[in-house]
Amino acid sequence: MHEDIDHRVLLRPIETTSRRYFVLLAVVLLAILSFVIAYAYQLQHGLIVTGLADWGSGGGATWGLYIGAFIWWVGIAHGGIILSAAVRLLGMERYKPVARIAELLTIGALSMAGLMIVVHLGRPDRFVTNIILAYPETVHTSPLVWDVTVITLYFVLTATYLGLTLRYDIVRLRDELPDRFDPLYRLLTVGYRESEDPVVERMVWWLALGIIILAPLLLHGGVIPWLFALLPSMPGWFSAVQGPQFLTIALTSAIGSVLVISLAFRRAYDWGALIGDDVFRGLGLWLGLFALLFLWLQLQQVITGVFAPPIDVDAATSAKLSSPIYWLAIVMIVTALGYLTAQAIEPRYFTIPRTVFAGVLVVSATLIEKTFFVIEGFLHPRFDMYAAVPGSYIPSFIELSAILGTLAMVTLFFMVIAKVIPVVELHAIEDDASVADWEVEP
Amino acid sequence: MTDSDLGEHSDQAQSWEAQMRSLLEEGGYDIDLGIEMARDAQRLVAGELSEQEFHERYHAAVTEEFGTDERPVATDEPSASFVELLTGECSGGEDPSRREVVKALGVAGGALGLGGMAVADQQRTSTQAAADGPDEPDIQYGMVVDLERCDGCLQCVTACADENQTSNGANWMYVLAYLDEHTEQENFLVRPCQHCSNAPCEKVCPVRARHTREQDGIVLTDYDACIGCRYCQVACPYGVNYFQWGDPEVSEEELDPNHIWDARGMRVDSRPPKGVMGKCTFCPTRQDGLQGEDKVGTVACMDACDAAGMRAIHFGDLNNPESRPRRYLRERAAEELDDDTDLDMDADWATSTTRWRKLSAFRLLEDLGTEPNVIYLGNQPGERADQQEGPVPYDLIGRVDRRKDVLDERTVGITGGDD
Ligand code: SF4
Ligand code: SF4
Repeated sequence: MHEDIDHRVLLRPIETTSRRYFVLLAVVLLAILSFVIAYAYQLQHGLIVTGLADWGSGGGATWGLYIGAFIWWVGIAHGGIILSAAVRLLGMERYKPVARIAELLTIGALSMAGLMIVVHLGRPDRFVTNIILAYPETVHTSPLVWDVTVITLYFVLTATYLGLTLRYDIVRLRDELPDRFDPLYRLLTVGYRESEDPVVERMVWWLALGIIILAPLLLHGGVIPWLFALLPSMPGWFSAVQGPQFLTIALTSAIGSVLVISLAFRRAYDWGALIGDDVFRGLGLWLGLFALLFLWLQLQQVITGVFAPPIDVDAATSAKLSSPIYWLAIVMIVTALGYLTAQAIEPRYFTIPRTVFAGVLVVSATLIEKTFFVIEGFLHPRFDMYAAVPGSYIPSFIELSAILGTLAMVTLFFMVIAKVIPVVELHAIEDDASVADWEVEP
Repeated sequence: MTDSDLGEHSDQAQSWEAQMRSLLEEGGYDIDLGIEMARDAQRLVAGELSEQEFHERYHAAVTEEFGTDERPVATDEPSASFVELLTGECSGGEDPSRREVVKALGVAGGALGLGGMAVADQQRTSTQAAADGPDEPDIQYGMVVDLERCDGCLQCVTACADENQTSNGANWMYVLAYLDEHTEQENFLVRPCQHCSNAPCEKVCPVRARHTREQDGIVLTDYDACIGCRYCQVACPYGVNYFQWGDPEVSEEELDPNHIWDARGMRVDSRPPKGVMGKCTFCPTRQDGLQGEDKVGTVACMDACDAAGMRAIHFGDLNNPESRPRRYLRERAAEELDDDTDLDMDADWATSTTRWRKLSAFRLLEDLGTEPNVIYLGNQPGERADQQEGPVPYDLIGRVDRRKDVLDERTVGITGGDD
């Protein structure tokens, strides 16, 4: 713990804004603008401007990068729950300084996942109303509706969780927080009493527990893979292993992105003492462990697919194994795992940039692998008589701009939120005994 | 169960116990301990005994008897340094929060399990209800397609495109000429939507736009409800869906108003508007009499096939024994039998051939459980069947075959050319 760190350190992002901040802001806004223009163009002309097409006689892939990015963002959103579970449920105090950053990432990433679904639709204007109207019936049968349900629930729970944990900090730091956001702070801390702290503590604990059951087991280990894994007509997808396989995607990409954002904050605000080396070392180990799990589950699929496969599985597997894109993703993960293992065995190999680079490798590999997974399904369906099957798909600039745009939006989200609320919780620099020292106005 | 049943049951149990006892005696271990444990194990399962009580009761005895007890007992934590590395904490055995996590997870797991059972129950009753009948439509439109009569002229493809004004490449009716692995013979597969009775496309639709019309079992898309998620296209095993990726080639005004809304007032016919899914409809506005009484019970592709003199497509109510497809099936079966007996006049087994045995009828990918309502007569394509260019190429009828070629023209970016 870092009891020796002054609480003003936490306020650095709010109190100082560098030139680099504005440069980054300009870049980010530019990227968002390009996405907005691309999407406006798509709205005007229809999805015909993307690289997507009908599978079958049409010779294309029905879903592509948008859905790949959707899966990816939902996976990244698991950073919040992994960290808060570690900190709140398992008492791993060392990760406290990055817990809130990870929770904020959940909010940002889930929003991007939702946005990807909307962007992917032919008639986004009907999305909300029509889903709600048909909900009582469709919730029984449509995996897509299950996804919408679980994601919404996850979002609400995480937001509640964040809101509750923020109250404590804002009340205690209020005098040092900028007055221009006063209405927001008032709203967040409405009705605060010191006596609520232990109660909130319990509520937060239960919320964390609820989310940890919901998010990994039901979301990325459940309804997201079930979008694909329940369809017997697509041998590349139809498999009981997809649940665990998707879960490893969530765990690896989540930790990878927490690594990246932690380093960004550490560098930007000179937080070497606050977000210590041990955070990166520890997260690196976890990343390695989950990457290993990822590879192990890939192996399961490959072995089943090559040993004595039925004709359709055979076609899907051999296509996968002869695709350079698949191997690119696997090699990226193996490389990251290699370094992380070396670093675990021989600590002198450890450096923060290398660990974070391993994180970047894994996060990029998961986007590639999952998009590839989605497309592969269409290219090698069970009913593959069509001359136009396997079809082809290359992501259009429109779709690529969505990846860029969502990345920029999450960056912007962090840049803005860091100016408004403390992104590292007060608990990270105090032990419970010192709570009483704070003077709290009723 | 009656009382006597119960009595019999416990009699059996007693003799079973005696049997087991003699078996165990040969093993040389403490039989009474074993049997007592077995009884308590049953109580454990029945919930009369907690697992902890059970383990506490027997841990010492088992260790004494077997020298070791490998069942999980909460003794010391695995104080591995790897765990320490990962958690950053020394694993103190008495961490209350950790214990609580385990307990609460147990409770949650139980709740999940119960929830799952409740869902399963519900499903069972609903499928039972379906099997009982009231939900089954009296009329089930479908087709019998005689592939042996098809010569690949593509008249049905043209007729469907004209009827529904579909964009080029959206070939709702599609004919594949194909070669199978071990034959040189060219076969045809006529592929409309299969209007499945257990349609996966309908199951996955998040807004119930894809639905089965109750009065006649036709699978349709409500163009006013569809949000264009394309999940139906993903879930359909046959690849019969064609999305409206851009603006339709034929504008709204040019469409025949009697050919858009069915009798329910639902917008389900003709080509879909932009951003919405389309596929073969079995011509619902015809079935509803909106295009004249004479067109009820017909579909555009069948008319064209008849006009071409092929009579390969037979559309009608599959539940009605007097419908055109059912009559055709009988006719063909009789024909097959005649042919068969002609050929094998003097062979004995010919007389034992049943009427249906020689008629090769199949449904596409029937093993997927979709319950298609299109029945094919003729050769079933094998798993390795491959489409070839047919006698009439698609460009000859002014239609694009591989739709991606058209769509690529509007793609912003690299399209991969025309391979
Ligand atoms: S063939 Fe495909 S689109 Fe037609 S009803 Fe069956 S699953 Fe649905
Ligand atoms: S594309 Fe339309 S009809 Fe198909 S599943 Fe989505 S909402 Fe339903």
